[in-house]
Amino acid sequence: MEENRKEGRKVSALPDLFTWSEDGVHLLSARCGSCGTFFFPMYHEQHRPGCSRQGIEKVLLSKEGKLSSYTIQYYMPPPPFKTDRDITPYVIGLVEFSERIQIVGIVVGCTFNQLKTGMAMETTTFTLYRDEGGQDIVTWAFQPVKT
Amino acid sequence: MIAREVAIIGVGMHPWGKFSQKTFVDLGVEAIAKALADANIEWKKIETICSGIYIWGGNAGHLSGQYLASVFGETGIPIVNVYNACATGASALRLAYLSIASGQVDTALAVGVDMSPEGFLTAKSDNPRQDRDVLRWRMVGMPNPTYWALECRKRMQRYGTTEEDLARVKVLLSQYGAQNPNARYKKVYTLEEVLTSKMVCDPLRLYEICATSDGAAALILCAANKARQFTSKPITIGATTVGSAIYGDPTIRISAISAPSKAGAPLLSESYSSSQQAYKLSGIGPEDIDLLELPDNSSWHYLQYLETCGFCGDGEAERMVRDGETQIGGRIAVCPSGGFSSFGEAIGAQAVWQVAEVVMQLRGQCGTRQVERAKVGMAQTYGLMGNSGTTILKV
Repeated sequence: MEENRKEGRKVSALPDLFTWSEDGVHLLSARCGSCGTFFFPMYHEQHRPGCSRQGIEKVLLSKEGKLSSYTIQYYMPPPPFKTDRDITPYVIGLVEFSERIQIVGIVVGCTFNQLKTGMAMETTTFTLYRDEGGQDIVTWAFQPVKT
Repeated sequence: MIAREVAIIGVGMHPWGKFSQKTFVDLGVEAIAKALADANIEWKKIETICSGIYIWGGNAGHLSGQYLASVFGETGIPIVNVYNACATGASALRLAYLSIASGQVDTALAVGVDMSPEGFLTAKSDNPRQDRDVLRWRMVGMPNPTYWALECRKRMQRYGTTEEDLARVKVLLSQYGAQNPNARYKKVYTLEEVLTSKMVCDPLRLYEICATSDGAAALILCAANKARQFTSKPITIGATTVGSAIYGDPTIRISAISAPSKAGAPLLSESYSSSQQAYKLSGIGPEDIDLLELPDNSSWHYLQYLETCGFCGDGEAERMVRDGETQIGGRIAVCPSGGFSSFGEAIGAQAVWQVAEVVMQLRGQCGTRQVERAKVGMAQTYGLMGNSGTTILKV
């Protein structure tokens, strides 16, 4: 899928999941200082058994990871998924980060034939719909790293 | 240690399908009435009811056991309603089993009923802070089968699983479903028909993913030393267990949006856990088992569960299927019922139904799809968000 609309003001569909700046888009994670586990979303803790759960810090995940798996979905999902257009068929990818966590997200910026497990991916945003105030309601997404 | 042995003396089910003119109580009553008749036991002799919660049924569904009991006549016995996603029925059965094994009661009814909503199963709350389901739907648009597709593609990369390997599972199961009067789908498919069916979430096609169905199943349990008062063919429970996930499991589980990338536990660790517990408690291993009802939610599940439960080594499931080892008459008959592929998922009911199918096989009641000389059988569930159940039965 290509994002070819003009960008308006971007707002995440739900808070505290990712952030963006001139440096690019980063997923918001948290790392447990005791067991070392990274969480995504940062507010869903999942510790190693016996962990003291001390010293949890918010962290930005690396911008880049690698595609460990993907699927092409041919049917529109039901609510609460909301878009202002039929986006099928769309790609859902599983991206592995160096922080020892893999995360799912919609994949943009490539054709189905270009998809290859192991390829380098970077985090980006994807516009789900434009709200009544003209804001683009976005989610996180992944796209191949341009070489 | 188990205080005393427990047997299954009666099974009953309402056929699987779509029954929009019926209520969940209608379906459950039919299954229970058949199980009581099968066990030749009076309702008044049932000493406890363990019932699967029917999540789409509001107050009635959450108190399914009370609603079902009132139809037969309230007797004051303990009724407990349990929910554990796909392992709901397995959890009801385990509780019924423990109630008898502990000595508190001599008989028990385990029942599960489900009527699936039309179309996709979707989120049941709108609070992302506490419910991961909200995140996967709103932010990623992930129906359940996309999770299976992601794992399936990993498997294809790792072991060279082909599209034909995935399709072959449906072809095989459709032959058994066609012979099962309780199955929803009775058409026999060719490899070509499966391979040209609609792509739903690449690499999984329409006929390689189970449907969602309505159905109900019931089991009557009894202390083994009293079972022969009711039946000449009691089926003994070797073990019935429930497993949860293990930290470090790399499976991208339904409703999660992340998972560890470096495996610190087996894939589908909840199912590994429940099956390992069952092997240990029963003293029966995969090599002793004649038939297996596994949760074939998709063709990927069928292949992966053979490994997860120790029926073959990593990457060997495709060869087992190709060589006919999983057919009736092969090394181990897998899903001789026709599986979820022929029945469809009925979440709260399916684990009870799987056990009922194994009981009928061990009694020799399965006609043309009978597994000859079957002495030991196993029923294995899958489960959303890390829960699973295993039951091992023996003649």
